[in-house]
Amino acid sequence: MKLKSSIKLKHTLAGLCLFAATGLAQAADLDLSVPNDKSATQSFVLAANEPANANLPASVTNGSPKVEFEEPWFSGDKLHQYSGFTTLALVAATAFSAPDGCEANCAAVAQQPRQVNGTHAKLAKAAAAMAAFTVTTGLIDHWDDFHMEDGFSDPDNLHAMLGTAGALMMMYAVNKSANSAVPVSHAGIAELGGFAMAFAVKLTW
Amino acid sequence: MSKKFKILALVASALLMSSVAQARESTSEWLISFDRMKGVKPVTDKKYAKECGECHFAYQPGLLPAKSWEKLLDAKALKNHFGENAELDEATLQEIQAYAAENAAETSWYKRSRKIAVATEKGPAPLRITELRYISRVHHEIPEKMIKGNKDVKSLSQCNACHTQAAKGVFDSDTVSIPNYPDFD
Repeated sequence: MKLKSSIKLKHTLAGLCLFAATGLAQAADLDLSVPNDKSATQSFVLAANEPANANLPASVTNGSPKVEFEEPWFSGDKLHQYSGFTTLALVAATAFSAPDGCEANCAAVAQQPRQVNGTHAKLAKAAAAMAAFTVTTGLIDHWDDFHMEDGFSDPDNLHAMLGTAGALMMMYAVNKSANSAVPVSHAGIAELGGFAMAFAVKLTW
Repeated sequence: MSKKFKILALVASALLMSSVAQARESTSEWLISFDRMKGVKPVTDKKYAKECGECHFAYQPGLLPAKSWEKLLDAKALKNHFGENAELDEATLQEIQAYAAENAAETSWYKRSRKIAVATEKGPAPLRITELRYISRVHHEIPEKMIKGNKDVKSLSQCNACHTQAAKGVFDSDTVSIPNYPDFD
C-alpha cells in the first residue's frame, strides 16, 4: 500500500513537472522583458498620452467600444478560476469528512485498522490533485503575471507563492497519512495548505 | 499545529500585511467582501467623470499613486496637460484633486491598484499610466499595428478602445477585444 501510494505521488509530481515544463518551454519563446531599446520605447511613447492623441475622434476617446463584445464562457483564466474553486470545495468537503478520533499515536486508535480508502481519503486525494491542477493551469495561463522583480508583496506573486505552497502542503499531508500504518497527525498542515490557497484566491479575487 | 507551521503562518501574514498595509480601505471589509476586486475601483465621482471624460477616458484614480495625481492635477501642470490646456476652476479642481487622492492606487484594495501601489512605492512619480512597468509589460507583446496603426485605437492610452469593461474598472484579458483584430488572443 505504502509503495503504491508513493508511486502515485511520484506520478503526480512527474505530471506536475511536465505541465510546468510545458509552460516554461512556451515562456522561453516569449520576450518577457520590458522593451528598452530606442525603437521599442518610441513605440510606447507614441502609444501614450501624447499631444497628438488629444485630437483622437470622439468614438475612440469616449464611450464604449463600437462592437458588442461577449466575454467567453471558457478560457485559460476561467479554467484556472474554476479549478481553484473546485479545490477549495474539495478541501472543505475533506475537512468535514474527517473521521473523529485522536490524531496522535493513541494506543486505542492505533489498534483499529486504518481507513485509507474511505470518503475522507478519497476527497483528500482529489483535493490535492485538483490543487496541483490549479497550480499548473495558473503557471501556464498566468506565467506573465509572476515577476519576482515586483517583490514578494506584489499580489500576483503572493497569489502564486501561496497557491503553490498550499498545494504542496496538501500533497504532503495526503502522502504523509497515506503512507502511515498508524493514524498520524496531518490535519494541521493540510488545513494550513487549504487556508493558503483560500487566501491566494482572495488576494486576486 | 507544530511550531514550524506557526512560524510559517506568521511569516506569511507579515508578507501579506506588507502588501495590504498600504490600502486605506478597511481590511476587515475587504476580507469579508465577496465583491470582485480584481481590477481598479470604478469612477464614482460624477464631476471627476465629467471633467476628465470630456477629453479622454476618465482614468480611475486607482491607476496611479497619489504622488502622481498630485503632480498631474496641479493647477499649473493642467495648463499644459500633455500638450492641451486642461485648466479647471478652483472649486472643481479641488474636488477632483481630493477625489483622486482619496482613491489613488495605494488607498485601494483592488488588485491592480495594489500592484501599481507596490511598484510605484519607491522612485519618482510616474506621470503616464502607460509608463508604469506593469502596464507596459502586459502590453508589450501587442503589435504596434493593433494600437498605433489601428484607426479605432491609435494609442495605448485609450484603454476603453480594447478593454470592453474599462469603465467598470475591469481590465481582464477575457474582456479584451481589439477593434479590427477580433481574433487576437
